[in-house]
Amino acid sequence: MTKAYSRFLTAFFCLFLAGLLVWHVLLPDRGQSETENRTLAQAPAFSWSALVSGSYTEDVEEYFADQFPLRDGWTGLKARMEQLLGKREFNGVYLCGDTLISKVDTPVAGAVDKNLSYVDRLAGKSDANVVLGLIPSAAELWKEKLPAGADSWDQTALMARSQVDFRDALAAHADEPIFYRTDHHWTTLGAFYGANALLEVLGKESLKEECFTPEIASDNFNGTLYSQSGIHWLEPDTMEFWVAEEGLTVTSWRTGKEEPASLYDRTYLEKKDKYSAFLGGNQPLCVIKNENVTDGSKLLLVRDSYSDALAPFLAQRFSEVHLLDLRYYRAPVSAYAAENGIGDIAVVYSVQNFISDVNLVLLTQ
Amino acid sequence: MIFSSLTFLFAYLPLTLVAYFLTPLRWRNLTLLLVSLFFYGWGEPVYIVIMFLSILIDYTHGLLVEKYRDNDKKARWFVAQSVVFNLLLLGFFKYWDFLADNLFLLTGLSLPASLTLLGVTIPLRNIPLPIGISFFTFQTMSYTIDVYRRDAPVQRNIISFGAFVTMFPQLIAGPIVKYKTVAEDLNHRVHSTENFALGARRFCVGLAKKVLLANSIGALWDAQLAAQGAGTLTAAGGWMGLLAFGFQIYFDFSGYSDMAIGLGQIFGFRFNENFDHPYLSTSASEFWRRWHMSLTSWFREYLYIPLGGNRGGTAKTLRNILIVWFCTGFWHGASWNFILWGLYFAAWLILEKYALRNVLEKTPAPLKHLYTLIVVFVGWGIFAMEDLSVCGAYLAACFGGAPLWSAVDGYTLRSYAITFVILITASTTLGVRGWARLPEKAQKILTPILMALSLLVCTAYLVDGSYNPFLYFRF
Repeated sequence: MTKAYSRFLTAFFCLFLAGLLVWHVLLPDRGQSETENRTLAQAPAFSWSALVSGSYTEDVEEYFADQFPLRDGWTGLKARMEQLLGKREFNGVYLCGDTLISKVDTPVAGAVDKNLSYVDRLAGKSDANVVLGLIPSAAELWKEKLPAGADSWDQTALMARSQVDFRDALAAHADEPIFYRTDHHWTTLGAFYGANALLEVLGKESLKEECFTPEIASDNFNGTLYSQSGIHWLEPDTMEFWVAEEGLTVTSWRTGKEEPASLYDRTYLEKKDKYSAFLGGNQPLCVIKNENVTDGSKLLLVRDSYSDALAPFLAQRFSEVHLLDLRYYRAPVSAYAAENGIGDIAVVYSVQNFISDVNLVLLTQ
Repeated sequence: MIFSSLTFLFAYLPLTLVAYFLTPLRWRNLTLLLVSLFFYGWGEPVYIVIMFLSILIDYTHGLLVEKYRDNDKKARWFVAQSVVFNLLLLGFFKYWDFLADNLFLLTGLSLPASLTLLGVTIPLRNIPLPIGISFFTFQTMSYTIDVYRRDAPVQRNIISFGAFVTMFPQLIAGPIVKYKTVAEDLNHRVHSTENFALGARRFCVGLAKKVLLANSIGALWDAQLAAQGAGTLTAAGGWMGLLAFGFQIYFDFSGYSDMAIGLGQIFGFRFNENFDHPYLSTSASEFWRRWHMSLTSWFREYLYIPLGGNRGGTAKTLRNILIVWFCTGFWHGASWNFILWGLYFAAWLILEKYALRNVLEKTPAPLKHLYTLIVVFVGWGIFAMEDLSVCGAYLAACFGGAPLWSAVDGYTLRSYAITFVILITASTTLGVRGWARLPEKAQKILTPILMALSLLVCTAYLVDGSYNPFLYFRF
């Protein structure tokens, strides 16, 4: 090696390392990652006790990685490399042509039976009619899109325990966009088919597709699977609102206080997390009242996030739809139903959440 | 801290390089000692004490051996003291739990779980293992022995000696640098931009091996082990798992050695090579001349030959082989499977030496190669599974105790086919030979491009490795 060439290689190596260090130091720290949908680690405070226990150095490593310059660009580069190597699974997400499908992991032994038994116990406790509805995930309904031989937990046996036949209702339309391609949720179309399946079980008249005029809320929706997989090169999803807001009054209990809210929080359409536009995302309790339905019928949905797209449809057939989230709402469900004169309770969960949830035990209070 | 981490690459290393090269020549060992102590203390703040203790004790023993040079009995006594100290250190931190558990199983005697001295309670069980203890105790042992054997001069400067003991490039995962190989460099080494450039290039090669090759195949082994637990392991899956583990450990370890050698070269040290394409070997004994060479040669020089090597007749040779391979296995971990793994190789080496010699000589090379690979990869099964009943069931599945093939295996094979081709190619000398055939000009253009690719892609994998989206945050 000539001296000049050695100098060149040395300088190149040092500049790469030091350059990113300087960039990292100069770059202002971010509080949140929009793409990853989470809070990022901040610079930890130094203490001798934290140093001795080793937690200080761990926190520094986490902070350093979370605030790394061009974070999203690096994750995208990795996904591209993996694709070149012929990989089909990216951080638990399968790439199936133009569609991302989340892999369902085998649940912890006994967890499913426990959660099922909690729903049964609620039925025994409450005077209201209790039904369980389990929404199969894309990995079940779009099984044939998965790479051949790809592993995902078989949801068939669990489906038999669901009183609401979401599976058949959705399977009849499996060739339509019933799930987002870049997000794990069902689309508004999927939720529409789901709503009719639930209404049938509750003895209500079904909804007609032609009664709705879909509005394109966003044609630039990159969902959770986009973030989780690092696959950033697919066409973004289109998100629709079907149910019109007229005649519906929405009330939220986000902070423990009653606050007026709306069916769609359009501020989310400007952010990454667009799905949260439905009812404004997660909250302990939310009530939708429909002044056009005067029979006084009340439905309580024990929810996960799939219900946010579902509830606007259900509100077409009930005077009131209450959405209660067990992770944030800690009072007994049966008591809530009794106090509010609820006639029907629907525990509606997506399979992925149902098999891993640890809050369903609260149903037995 | 490990080399393949963002904090090492983009904070510790650039700052260390600046500090080191701004230091005047005569103080550079001090800088090296300080940055190395910081490196060690980063992961193990408390265990820095062990470093100081190790430096002090081995340093004084080196001086004592030198002082009593004319009194062989005394000199030997001090060598023994230093060896015993290092073995006790290793024994306490690494093997105490294992010894105590087995003593209890054998005799029902249980050793105390803690010791109270002057009001201070010292726990004696389940103590976390200080990182790199197996490596640095072996290195410091080599020092007093080398001084005694006059293979290396005594080191009178405690700072230089401290720099040898703690030197961060090889501190936590080797290669095991014998004192005599770096004695000269410790006092007078060459800092040149050529050394820096070559070292940086070597470092990039090692980083890519570790991050891109080893990490990419690790998940496959985990999946097969999980399949064994779930009862769905097939023979094909079992062999893919063993291959995956063998490739993972090779590229992980040899990548780490490359990074260590490269870093050493940046600072002007010349470490010995640690791997020489071990998967090209055509016998188990050849494998061990190409795999983790610094450990094999350590045991040969400081244990096998002092025991008499192969010069005392067949019985003694057999005994010595068994002792050395028992120790080699046990060195890898305080568990029966490692001992079994060591003895498994002892058995093959003895067979090759006495029974198979004539057979192997007549066997065509491809068959010998296949035989070696099977021996080595089945060995990885013993190495990788601490629970011997799991290990037995897994290996039984590989040898026909389970269905041959399943649809999941097809998916796995398609997902990893390209990775396997790359790993197999990278295990041969094809790359090195191809590189040597390129015209010099092409090499000059390609070197910075490949280095940039390695750094960029490794960074991408490291950033994504920390990727931990909390997706159900908003459920």
